[in-house]
Amino acid sequence: MSTYVYGITAGSHPPLPEGLAGVGEPPREVRVIGAGDLAAVVSDAPEGLRPKRRELLAHQNVLSEAGAGGCVLPMRFGSVAPDDSAVTGVLAERAEHYKERLGALDGRVEYNVKANHVEEAVLHHVMAENPEIRALAESNRQSGGGSYESKIQLGEMVAAAIQGKEAEDAVVLERALEPVADAVSVGPESTGWLANVSFLVRQDSAEEFLAAVERVRGDMPHLEVRVNGPLPPYSFVEPGPAEPAGTAAGGADAGAG
Amino acid sequence: MTVVPAQQSGGGGGSSGLYDVLELVLDRGLVIDAFVRVSLVGIEILKIDVRIVVASVDTYLRFAEACNRLDLEAGPRKDPGVPDLVGQMTESGAKGKSKGALSGAAETISDAFKQARDEDGSERERETASRPRARKAAPSRRKEEQE
Repeated sequence: MSTYVYGITAGSHPPLPEGLAGVGEPPREVRVIGAGDLAAVVSDAPEGLRPKRRELLAHQNVLSEAGAGGCVLPMRFGSVAPDDSAVTGVLAERAEHYKERLGALDGRVEYNVKANHVEEAVLHHVMAENPEIRALAESNRQSGGGSYESKIQLGEMVAAAIQGKEAEDAVVLERALEPVADAVSVGPESTGWLANVSFLVRQDSAEEFLAAVERVRGDMPHLEVRVNGPLPPYSFVEPGPAEPAGTAAGGADAGAG
Repeated sequence: MTVVPAQQSGGGGGSSGLYDVLELVLDRGLVIDAFVRVSLVGIEILKIDVRIVVASVDTYLRFAEACNRLDLEAGPRKDPGVPDLVGQMTESGAKGKSKGALSGAAETISDAFKQARDEDGSERERETASRPRARKAAPSRRKEEQE
């Protein structure tokens, strides 16, 4: 029976709630297997596990429950080991690394911030700041909407201006929240948002962080800012080259590119 | 005390908040090479869908229409402070109504999640059918976007 792995904790981690439901249908029971100073939160791996919403939520829920008791290194969804002993083997082999990470992330949680423009508000911005667009829009309007070509031309100019504004606002947003966070991790770009940034925040300064988010909302009413957290530190488990120090600069570059 | 109920989800409604978290569950977190990962075929499509670029003729036309509808009274002549404009906009309820061209994709995703949950049998065929198209479209468009 293969083993589904949710996350890694310290061996001293308090016990999980009884009967915690994991992935699968019916949900597999979550258990903890220890290896020295470390432990892994696991369950049996269901056959044919698929990345459905229910399963993703189960994974997230287990990590949230476990995270309530102390630091957890969250696994990415869908990690399956051949059996329990393979899990304890990995824990033993890389014990120092995982202990270091647990120490570094202790007392810290992730807040993910995504933002997009409120369309009408950003259009106003773009028009107000850009006389050329204003002029073309006005002339289109006077000619009853304008020709197909001039509409396309206007739309293209607007789209470009909005993209510029997105990059600009992403930087402003990140700069505003960065000082309240221990580390910053910029998520993948997408057209679903203009900024997708995770912040590692000390639990005891969570309020400060959320207050900073509120200030951003107040200062930039043309942004719709979504905050999710506190979450297990998904974006901060790997001390890769993209983290913590280099991240902010990298993100700004990516945003402007 | 658990972490979940304390979640702060501002702005967007329930489904986009959910998507925002699931994206992290799928894309980040620790990967251990000694373990295998379950197949994420369906999910890759979702991720690609969301990256399909805004810059299309349809979008241009839509922006042009939106500009036409905007009240330009205050525009060229008076050049009112931007904050005023923005204030008006939020008051007049733009907030809930138009999240913008760019958030449409997120809705697509949560729909797709719903679909993945609701359908079991036909799910696989659907994936294989739609995959090649999505694959082809995304990488090249994405490049354009960056340039």
